[in-house]
Amino acid sequence: MIVIGEKINGTRKQVAQAIADRNADFIRDLAKRQFEAGAKYLDVNAGTMPQREPEDMEWLVDNVQEAAPDAVVCLDSANPKALRAGINRTAKTPMLNSLSGEGFRIEGVLPLACEFQTELIVLALDDKGIPKTAEERLAVVRRLVGMTREGGLPDEKLYVDPLVMAISTGTENGLITLETCRKIKEEFPKVHLTCGLSNISFGMPLRSILNQAFITLSIQAGMDSVIVNPEDRELRTITMAAETLLGKDRHCMNFNRAFRAGKIGPKAAS
Amino acid sequence: MEELVKAVSEMMEDEAIDLTKKLLDQGEPPVKVLDAYKDALVVIGKRFEEGVYFVPELIMAGEMMKTASELMKPYMTKGSGPAPEANKKGKFLLGTVEGDIHDIGKDMVGMLLDINGFEVKDLGVDVPAQKFLDEYKAFQPDIVGMSGLLTLAYDSMKKVVDGLKEMGARDKVKVIIGGGQVDEHACKFVGADAWATDAVSGVKCSLQWIGN
Repeated sequence: MIVIGEKINGTRKQVAQAIADRNADFIRDLAKRQFEAGAKYLDVNAGTMPQREPEDMEWLVDNVQEAAPDAVVCLDSANPKALRAGINRTAKTPMLNSLSGEGFRIEGVLPLACEFQTELIVLALDDKGIPKTAEERLAVVRRLVGMTREGGLPDEKLYVDPLVMAISTGTENGLITLETCRKIKEEFPKVHLTCGLSNISFGMPLRSILNQAFITLSIQAGMDSVIVNPEDRELRTITMAAETLLGKDRHCMNFNRAFRAGKIGPKAAS
Repeated sequence: MEELVKAVSEMMEDEAIDLTKKLLDQGEPPVKVLDAYKDALVVIGKRFEEGVYFVPELIMAGEMMKTASELMKPYMTKGSGPAPEANKKGKFLLGTVEGDIHDIGKDMVGMLLDINGFEVKDLGVDVPAQKFLDEYKAFQPDIVGMSGLLTLAYDSMKKVVDGLKEMGARDKVKVIIGGGQVDEHACKFVGADAWATDAVSGVKCSLQWIGN
């Protein structure tokens, strides 16, 4: 499972405060903890207004890289100026979050991804919003993959997000996402699939249990990446268990190594 | 009637529909049946606030309500039906502000307001400030409700409030902002009258404003 750590996001209050105060320690700590918890990618979203965003993005990227030099920064913005500012600061080629069928993202994000050959998150929505059916979401993805191919970006660099909607607001919402996963994988076997997992449980009790059940189902549908809180130990355990059971873990070595390293399962009594 | 209130508030869909049909058949005025639903909704709202009910219960209540109003239609004669548009309690202009596309909370607010007798005009998501202002002029709402989950939505909300001030309308209308992250600070920054982090509390506040 390719984990994208979600915590450095300026739409979260504490992070917004840290950005405003230039509290580097706070950001560095978030970066370090997420990386150590298994996030290979660290999402960085300044969440600020366009005028300030490039500068804030640079500051965030500097601190994240310093704290977790081996992580890949995932620049999360719809603002091309902020993305470019971030790209110019990153030591490793970053991931961009995200392209979608929305006109301004096609104009602003796609050229940057192609120019710098970045990995790219691709959302299955367009100017009309989030399509209701798997077939319509696939159509959006098909159109966008056409564009990334045109721009010379190999499918392996794409992380397609089939979009997860709250189960509380629609009984079929889980199924639609899973079906979209399967359809995308069938047509574009080389792309990765990723998602903001916790959307599924919005408005529900026992959210973490629902998240765990849904990731299990998603893995079977082809999901190989998630945007989550990497420090969630239970989620990590369930994820590795599901991958192992679905034959994605040769001789169960990932699972057993993680167990021996104390990374999964109930915390050992101290 | 009490039985109906109970069936609806306990989420017993089939019983609620059967009872609704039965009561209407017996000649019960649709307005009274509707009142039972409203009473049930108060119970449901309370349970939501207490953390016993969750979003699905609110949505299901909305669906039961919709089914019930369909059932009532054939029974409605002049004067006996629920208030037509002109007799609604108040007008509410609703939308998710520019730069934000989150609609779950907004849609829920819209549904609950409608059930509670508001005339709701929903402008959708990613609504530019100018659109809010144009629609304000055309619709003349009592309340403007702006939704947004992202913190950058606050600037868009402020634009709308500033626009209302400029056209001299700010003291004629109540403004409420809603979203998972709004707070007193955001409310002051935007220049709104109130804020709500869930649909039920937002609707409660709106009902108070129009004297309910």
